[in-house]
Amino acid sequence: MSGQGVSLDYVNSIVYDLQKAFWDERGKGARFRTTTVGRDYFLDKCLPRIGARKVEPIVEVIEQVLREEGIVAGMSHEIDGKLLRLTVQGCLHESVEQSLVAKGVEPFTCIPANLVVLAIEETLDRPVELAEIKVEDGACHMLLALFDARPTFD
Amino acid sequence: MSEQYDLVEATMKIIQDRRSIRQYTAEPGSEEHLATILEAARQAPSGENAQPWRFIIVKDEATRKQLGAIAGGGSGRRFTAEFVTEKMQARFESLEDEAKKKAIFEKLTSGRVSAFLADAPVSIVVCGRKDVWDLPYDTSAAIENILLMVTALGLGACWVIAPCIDIRDEERLKDLLGVPEGIKVVSIIGVGHPTRPHRPRPRLPLHELVYNEAWDVAYYEEEA
Repeated sequence: MSGQGVSLDYVNSIVYDLQKAFWDERGKGARFRTTTVGRDYFLDKCLPRIGARKVEPIVEVIEQVLREEGIVAGMSHEIDGKLLRLTVQGCLHESVEQSLVAKGVEPFTCIPANLVVLAIEETLDRPVELAEIKVEDGACHMLLALFDARPTFD
Repeated sequence: MSEQYDLVEATMKIIQDRRSIRQYTAEPGSEEHLATILEAARQAPSGENAQPWRFIIVKDEATRKQLGAIAGGGSGRRFTAEFVTEKMQARFESLEDEAKKKAIFEKLTSGRVSAFLADAPVSIVVCGRKDVWDLPYDTSAAIENILLMVTALGLGACWVIAPCIDIRDEERLKDLLGVPEGIKVVSIIGVGHPTRPHRPRPRLPLHELVYNEAWDVAYYEEEA
């Protein structure tokens, strides 16, 4: 059976149910178990297009891929020292976040943000942490913390 | 002269004396102590008596440093996220000593709160089989047994989840230790001889914790 033409409402209702079930099981810690969600998509669609070795152009590649693929209508970013702010408009999965918020759950997984994190970590080996997801004014606003290097004790 | 306790008193004393010890002397632990600690873990309860726990003992200095780096990195990322969203400031709002608050923030955001694993003479990496129903609960029972036996032996330990809580870090840990797909790394317990005695951390009173027959109906009266 082909999945073509599958209802987005169906997909998002399932994604919501899975996230809510995970939240109910793991609470605030659920966030840390979904940090690699989207990795296969990243490896397939994003990584081959990343040539730059700096944060800003890497983020721009992710934004471009997501727009071209119709996953987001718009995406922008702002780098402020060690902070990276992402704004996503018209995300296919926006209703998942809205449903979580309606249940009093702070959204804890954002695929566009995960792709940005994966891109920076995979290409620059710089750790990144998604600190916050806020749904406001019809857009998702993500705050990410950038780190210079992975700790070692060599 | 050793003090005398009956079994109930001794059990409660061990429970109450347990601390999270993050600084250790250079003195190595003995194999006898380690075997006693692991036997305590082995006796823990588990759903269906599945005994899903497995333990990796790490003493090698280079590996310990890697454990410390992974743990410190994970803690540092998460606490930095708490700091930049000002959740950490809210958590410590009632602490008035600004210098102390700054030191706490630095300890947390730098990851030092977990990186001490690099200096623990022995680390017990607690793993669990995924093909059971109750992996997190079973392994947590084993961990508590470890912590209590460590205390009974006069040693110190700290239960560290930092290197495992984020799937990215758990993947690094599994690579480092060769842990297969069907196994989850749950926690690491650093064990050694404490450098100094530690004061107890505050505990919530029972009247805030215990309900009578239904949620939010106090079982105990608040003491005047």
